[in-house]
Amino acid sequence: MSPRTCRVSEFFSGESEGPRRVIELRDVRVERDGRVVLDGITFTVEEGAFLGIIGPNGAGKTTLLKAILGLIRPSRGEVRVLGMAPQQLRRELHHIGYMPQQVLFDPVFPVSVFDVVMMGRACCIGTLRHPSRKDREAVLESIRAVGLEGLERRPIGELSGGQQKRAFLARALCLETRILLLDEPCAGLDVEAQEAFLALLAELKERRGLTVVFVSHDVATLARHADSIVCINRTMHLHGSPQEVLGSRRLHEAYRCEFDFLAGDGGRSDKGGA
Amino acid sequence: MLRYVFMQKALLGGMSVALACSLISFFVVTRRLAFMGMGISHAAFGGVGLGLAAGLDATVTAGFFCVAVALGVGWLARRGRMHEDTTIGILFTASMALGALVVGLARRYNLDLMSYLFGSVLAMSWGDVIAAAVLSLLVCLFTAAFFKELLFVAFDEETATASGLPVRSVYYGMLTAMALVIVVSIKLVGIILVSALLVMPAATGLQLSRDYRKVIAFAVLDGLASMALGLWLSYVADVPPGATIVMVMFGFFLLAMALSPRRLLRSP
Repeated sequence: MSPRTCRVSEFFSGESEGPRRVIELRDVRVERDGRVVLDGITFTVEEGAFLGIIGPNGAGKTTLLKAILGLIRPSRGEVRVLGMAPQQLRRELHHIGYMPQQVLFDPVFPVSVFDVVMMGRACCIGTLRHPSRKDREAVLESIRAVGLEGLERRPIGELSGGQQKRAFLARALCLETRILLLDEPCAGLDVEAQEAFLALLAELKERRGLTVVFVSHDVATLARHADSIVCINRTMHLHGSPQEVLGSRRLHEAYRCEFDFLAGDGGRSDKGGA
Repeated sequence: MLRYVFMQKALLGGMSVALACSLISFFVVTRRLAFMGMGISHAAFGGVGLGLAAGLDATVTAGFFCVAVALGVGWLARRGRMHEDTTIGILFTASMALGALVVGLARRYNLDLMSYLFGSVLAMSWGDVIAAAVLSLLVCLFTAAFFKELLFVAFDEETATASGLPVRSVYYGMLTAMALVIVVSIKLVGIILVSALLVMPAATGLQLSRDYRKVIAFAVLDGLASMALGLWLSYVADVPPGATIVMVMFGFFLLAMALSPRRLLRSP
């Protein structure tokens, strides 16, 4: 295989009866410094699904995403992505786009939007090689997809918060992306920018048939967009449709507070204390 | 001045290290490794002291020492047990103390040591010039070969790791490259001032552009011009080359600040 070409892995090119299971977790436990941060996490994500992962601060949501990405190894249980352990993923990584919670970059770092999105293709280009015309076209296509055309040459630090999020989404999309792992992508955005980002995400998901795993502590936002929701707080509390999860008493136990979704503000009122 | 062989050697060696240092300085500044550069260069004193006391080639012992300290700091920092600056603070002072102790015990506090501390145009042999050229070439090749990986890691290490790039190897490669350019630069510039070569060129370039290609071009230009002008001034005024080169670099930095488009845009 030429390292310049991001090819579709056998997982997607092979025949399949029914939707493929792109992510599977079985009884996953993660420990850090001898402390259990996740335990008994079991769920599967099918191709084309939009899974929301919710939980209060410190629930282990980011850790869970990192375990899926293979950045953290579980001490027990099994994680499988595209049918294999995350550490074994090689060219399959071309199908996975990741957007971390916060990219702590220096605002004067001398790179343009184009340069940042091109970073997303680094693993596809291959070591000791430089971007080809095909890589540049893929980057421009990705920038257009997130609505940042005309800003390709703008330094990343000069963009607004919402535009920067779009640039990082473009970076996550500029390979043969089939799975998007998003960690609190709307954090720090105002309501208008959040809605614009989510509308863009929904459109991209439909158009490209993406599987989306979206981590957030904002239950109401996810309830409007996700097909199913997993609620964790170190252990797994719930997994079901947004209606099932929001209607369950166990959601309140996970967050240790009461929710008031009918008020439409998506907020929560602390009654039990955190 | 080029009639003199010692100046030919100083200029050839100086331009080689200026090129490599300027290139590396882009990543030192953008990854905020300036203190690491200072730590590694000062740690060279331990290696120089051991070399002088044992009668070995001090550049070789300093080379081993610097690479070991750079990789040690990197390893400790990545394990996350201690902050990088704390580790550097401990290892570089301990290395300097070791150097001072060994030299003191060996009663060989001599001119050699002073030239290592402050640099000397007379200190470079043809062997040093060849070593500087070869190591600088290696560092330039490493930077060119892994440029996109180095850039991604400097900008956003977490996503670079998640995308499957060899982040750890790139990080240790970068530290080794820093240690090597420091070692080949200390004879000319001196232990105390060599870290300026790893910071000022890119800092100057960043004043003038927000496109990394231009920042690197300005950095290299700054490094080469400062080296040539500094060596000439040091010859004319008969002053230590390291201090002259660094003062010229500082002058260019101030000029770049004054001419910075960002600064001019902010002005009413």
